[in-house]
Amino acid sequence: MTTADHIAPSTDTLVSARHLSVRYGRKTAVDDVSFSIPKGRVVGLLGHNGAGKTTLMKALVGLAEPAGELSVLGLHPQRDRVALLQGACYIPDVAILPRWARVSELITLMGRLHPRFSAERARQLLARTSVGLGDKVKSLSKGMVAQAHLALVASIDARLMILDEPTLGLDVLSRKAFYEMLIDEWCDGERSVLVSTHQVEEVESLLSDVLMLNEGKLVLSISLEEVDRRFVALSHDPAVAEQMAAAHPLLKYRVQGGSAALFDGEPPPHVQALGRRVRPSLVDLFVALTRKPELDRQHF
Amino acid sequence: MSTWDDRQPIYQQLADLLAARLLDGDPPEGAAMPSVRALAGQHLLNPLTVNRALQALAEAGLLESRRGLGLFVVPGARERLRAVERERFMAEEWPRLRARLRRLGIEAGQLDWNTDTAKEKRA
Repeated sequence: MTTADHIAPSTDTLVSARHLSVRYGRKTAVDDVSFSIPKGRVVGLLGHNGAGKTTLMKALVGLAEPAGELSVLGLHPQRDRVALLQGACYIPDVAILPRWARVSELITLMGRLHPRFSAERARQLLARTSVGLGDKVKSLSKGMVAQAHLALVASIDARLMILDEPTLGLDVLSRKAFYEMLIDEWCDGERSVLVSTHQVEEVESLLSDVLMLNEGKLVLSISLEEVDRRFVALSHDPAVAEQMAAAHPLLKYRVQGGSAALFDGEPPPHVQALGRRVRPSLVDLFVALTRKPELDRQHF
Repeated sequence: MSTWDDRQPIYQQLADLLAARLLDGDPPEGAAMPSVRALAGQHLLNPLTVNRALQALAEAGLLESRRGLGLFVVPGARERLRAVERERFMAEEWPRLRARLRRLGIEAGQLDWNTDTAKEKRA
């Protein structure tokens, strides 16, 4: 099947990638990944620096040339870029708003640039924040700029939002306000978001699904509901650490008041009996599945 | 940013939190529950997680769906919750509390059962 066959795109699948790779010269930044994003999801894209997150996002909006199959909103991102940007919006990790502009001018500008932008909605969203329409971008704090940017982008009547490290460098209150607006104003059960971040613990409860990249490879593509079913975390007394280790957990880690072990699937009953089941956290999974080779070597 | 612990799935923790509020009459019996979006925004949770929590409360017979209107608190929900909580207290918390009182040598008569005087003393 070629991408040209997508005449009647499935309206329930917003992104479909099959054997997608992106190479820069000799380096393979994204290595044979396959996944799909249905409508109404909040998908976290997790990975260390250099894991390929930004490259993958660029490919989704037609800014990087991939090999393999990729369909976004039923379109070919590079060939149909103009049409794609009608239905998908993107805040890159290097996003900036012009420092000299007033917020009201940005609204006017967006209205002229984007046919599906609603100035009225932008004003409504900005009213939730402490950003004033007459404020100049250069007078805003970093957190306010991020909120203004989200308000502008969320005022586009699109189906997919792609956010590359949107809260990097923001303080905790600004991050909270950013995600509150995203959940409140964007997620309506139809639209989806793909968001990359390092702050795994913070976004965990916001996500419906997670994609984990490690050195360009997709090491996990799963819904959070499945995480609870598939992975088992056992908190246990340090005294039984050896028996736990013998059952080959994915990860051994420390929790409040003791040790814990994370298993992919149900460990044998005699092992389960040694500990107490706790909720497997995304950050532990992240550590277990994306350990850097040099960290692995320390175990030998 | 989040207040969720690692003991239970997040949806279960939200269901427990909402049940505790129902027990306090928030929202009262017969009234509408807050919308999924409102709860999601308020608790910074994925709407699907909120849905699962509400579903769990509905399955426990505490909420009912009215077509086109959303979820409502079932009449008698508080009494049902209170009965469940009482049972749980007697089975789990009371034995621990009794053991602790015994260890500390506190008799029933020494406990102040009048919350009003406790408040006055603090004031």
